[in-house]
Amino acid sequence: MNCPMESHDPEMLVAYAAGQLDQEAVAAFEEHLSGCPECSATAADQMAVWQALDVWETPSVSPDFNRRLYHRIETEMRLSWWERLTRPFHPLVLRRILPLTATAALLLMAGLILERPAAVAPATKGAEAVRAEQVERTLEDLELLRQFSAARPGNNEHRDAM
Amino acid sequence: MGPRVNKDMGVVAAALDYDAELMLRVKDGDGASFALLLEKHRAPVIHFVYRLVQEQAVAEELAQEVFLRVYRSRSSYEPTAKFTTWLFRIATHLALNWLRDEKHERMQERLDDGPPDFPAREVSDRRPSVEDQLMYQARLAEVRRAVAGLPEKQRAAVLMHKYEEMDYVQIAKVLGCSESAVKSLLFRAYETLRARLAHMGRI
Repeated sequence: MNCPMESHDPEMLVAYAAGQLDQEAVAAFEEHLSGCPECSATAADQMAVWQALDVWETPSVSPDFNRRLYHRIETEMRLSWWERLTRPFHPLVLRRILPLTATAALLLMAGLILERPAAVAPATKGAEAVRAEQVERTLEDLELLRQFSAARPGNNEHRDAM
Repeated sequence: MGPRVNKDMGVVAAALDYDAELMLRVKDGDGASFALLLEKHRAPVIHFVYRLVQEQAVAEELAQEVFLRVYRSRSSYEPTAKFTTWLFRIATHLALNWLRDEKHERMQERLDDGPPDFPAREVSDRRPSVEDQLMYQARLAEVRRAVAGLPEKQRAAVLMHKYEEMDYVQIAKVLGCSESAVKSLLFRAYETLRARLAHMGRI
């Protein structure tokens, strides 16, 4: 027989280790293995992997698995036609669409807030008047603060020292 | 030319798909047939999903969804493929989607923390010693890590091939790829596993 490794047909090796070859094929392959060190080593390793995978047992199934399933089926049977129709989209809505919509809404709000000065631009005269008043008031406040701090005794000493 | 597989496997594959018949009865409103299908396939589906996602609670939750989908689809069911092919296609789809959502890192973290779903095990007819248990846990952790390290399609293919004893044709149908693609997937997967696990079999 052709060498599976040379003919790039390693399926034989896998099937041999898995015990899926019939007796005739096993005999032919083992005859080949006796004269082919490469296939022999790979087959031994494949058998070792097969045995290693046997280690992996699975936990037993929960005793209430069926009860939970039938409960879900019964609940589903009671759903309205609209709930049944939209049900497949619920996980999608919760996981993907809802966060995306929320992000888009936030971005939109941020955009609107940032764009607001431009949007109220036509009302320039009124706005300028308000701004001038605010500046005037702030300057008055600053002057009051300056006078207040100048009147404090500590500050007088400091001024005298200078 | 592929290897000549055991003739019994071919006979089984060619046999009438009794499961599909049961599903057709479910379609006609026979709840008892659904119970039979559930009883027969519950464990294989849960075990397959468990080995894919490596978390028992998640595996059972996903398996519930698999059977729920089977039940939901009863009215539109047509036996165009083997029942188990259809069943495992749903299971694989749900499990791989879960893995993609959860990301592999989280699973790797859990594996590094040690197996939480360690099954009780008896060695031969005596109680396993502490040493036996520790040895078994170490080997199991190594196997789980090696399988979890495979790309998801290779992982699914190996699990179906090794534990569900599916042939290449059925695996190809479940994964929605060609038979030659499955052979290639399996060869690459076993090549990786040989590099990681071959030393275990020689112990």
